[in-house]
Amino acid sequence: MFDFAIAGIQAPLFLLILTGFTVGIVGGFIGVGGGYMVTPALIVFGFPGYMASGIDMTHIAGKGVVSTIRHRQMGNIDWVLGLAMIGGTMLGVEQGVRLLTWTKDLGLSGVVLLTASVVIMLVLFIYTQIETAQAHKKMSQLEKEGQKVGREMTVSKGPAFFQRIPLFPIIRCRTAKIVVSMWVIVVVGIVTGILAGFLGVGGGFIRVPALIYIVGASTHIAVGTDLLEIAVSGGYGALRHSMMGNVDMIAVLFMIVGAMFGAQFGSIATAYVRGPAIRYILSYSLVLACVGAFLRLAYMLTGQKYEILSFFAVVFTLGEMLFLCLFIISLVYFSVRYTNGKKVPAWVPALVVAKK
Amino acid sequence: MAEVSRGKGTIKFFFWLAVGIGLFYYAFHTYYNGQMISWYYYKTKADGYAVNADALKGYSKEKPALLKIGPFEKIEGLQAVPVKKGDRLPINANGVITSAQVKKGERATLEDDKLKVMIPMRIREAKGFKYKDTFMHKEVQTNPWSGVWNVVLILAMGFALGLTAEGFTDMMGYKLEKIEHFEGAH
Repeated sequence: MFDFAIAGIQAPLFLLILTGFTVGIVGGFIGVGGGYMVTPALIVFGFPGYMASGIDMTHIAGKGVVSTIRHRQMGNIDWVLGLAMIGGTMLGVEQGVRLLTWTKDLGLSGVVLLTASVVIMLVLFIYTQIETAQAHKKMSQLEKEGQKVGREMTVSKGPAFFQRIPLFPIIRCRTAKIVVSMWVIVVVGIVTGILAGFLGVGGGFIRVPALIYIVGASTHIAVGTDLLEIAVSGGYGALRHSMMGNVDMIAVLFMIVGAMFGAQFGSIATAYVRGPAIRYILSYSLVLACVGAFLRLAYMLTGQKYEILSFFAVVFTLGEMLFLCLFIISLVYFSVRYTNGKKVPAWVPALVVAKK
Repeated sequence: MAEVSRGKGTIKFFFWLAVGIGLFYYAFHTYYNGQMISWYYYKTKADGYAVNADALKGYSKEKPALLKIGPFEKIEGLQAVPVKKGDRLPINANGVITSAQVKKGERATLEDDKLKVMIPMRIREAKGFKYKDTFMHKEVQTNPWSGVWNVVLILAMGFALGLTAEGFTDMMGYKLEKIEHFEGAH
């Protein structure tokens, strides 16, 4: 146990480092900060709610930098796309926070927040699942036909539509190989920023699908570019939380040490898989987080009578972290087996890359 | 795997590792010498009495805490310092019992020349887990510049750790190639 003088609690260091590690793996792999997983974990360890959010947001900023450095090395970041989006994201986050304050003033924030979270995550999950399953099927078919299958495969018609919008200025994102109106990117930043600010999260789980299905970035580039966004928007969030006195910096430092190792593994693991594999993990993280939020919503709507609902919401969230980590580790394991010509399940070859 | 300079990787690894350790040590040093804590528990947001909430643990309505009131520079145990809104908090103070609370008399009240605290800590149910609700960090203003310091520190730490990890893989001769995003059918 470590004595956190600022937070005024004692908490186990090992669990803090482990949390940083597991969320680092998931975040580095699917390009999210993982706030919806870390905050409940910190509350369980004994940190007050306001401080759990602050510690989480500050550690996300540091983890964003760690992951961005690794994704840059692998060529997964489109700087033009990222920088064009940052302004819109920041503006959106501010508006989202104001919207949250407004619903708080109406006394509706808890229910509205959780309902919005459940609906958004469910819609994203369903769309991502359907699209990814179709892309997976198409890839498997191409593999069977003996064609050389690339890193990416999407069947979404969204990018073609949005890239045709002729609003000046049109920008060229060389790494992502996209030519699109800057306003599409800015509006995507604003909308995802509003949702992130309103829901009180970093917003990666909304931005990554938006980058893929609206802007048209490949999944790997969406992940890397979103982590760049997270480093910047997380830094801004950390500043706001720190100024309000919501951060115990030593807890953040221990988490970032764990996150460094996790983020390395998660980021490097993307080199072993194809785009649909990342989107599958993203969609599973969405549906699991959705179930957690639904249990919390049910707890609130039943007048906070049934403690079991709240308990399962937390257990579910913590279990989700471990489940996703194991899924990512198993994908890397199967990729190595596949590379070495060993037997792998039938669904694997279309999702992983045989490393030379 | 692409060819990498393991020598350069080794230098990069040890250099950024040293920077990371240095930042970690510096953060710990400022935490334990009280600098970071004094930035955090910086000024009072209301008139009242600055206290060390930790000293109030274990007391209750049946067994109230009696705090000696005085202009102490450093609060030790059951002591309280009268403060006005905007005053710097004394050393070891981590919460303020407001004059309004004392006037109300539910959680704390004045008794002779002492501050009698009757409900220093409540246990409330929150999200299925118990947490403590004390006077800690109540009516306390954090130094806004400590926010800037926190962000600079965490970004620098992230930068150092990221480059340490990159240096490590280079040192081990494991350099990741850039991913070919658009080769083959897609």
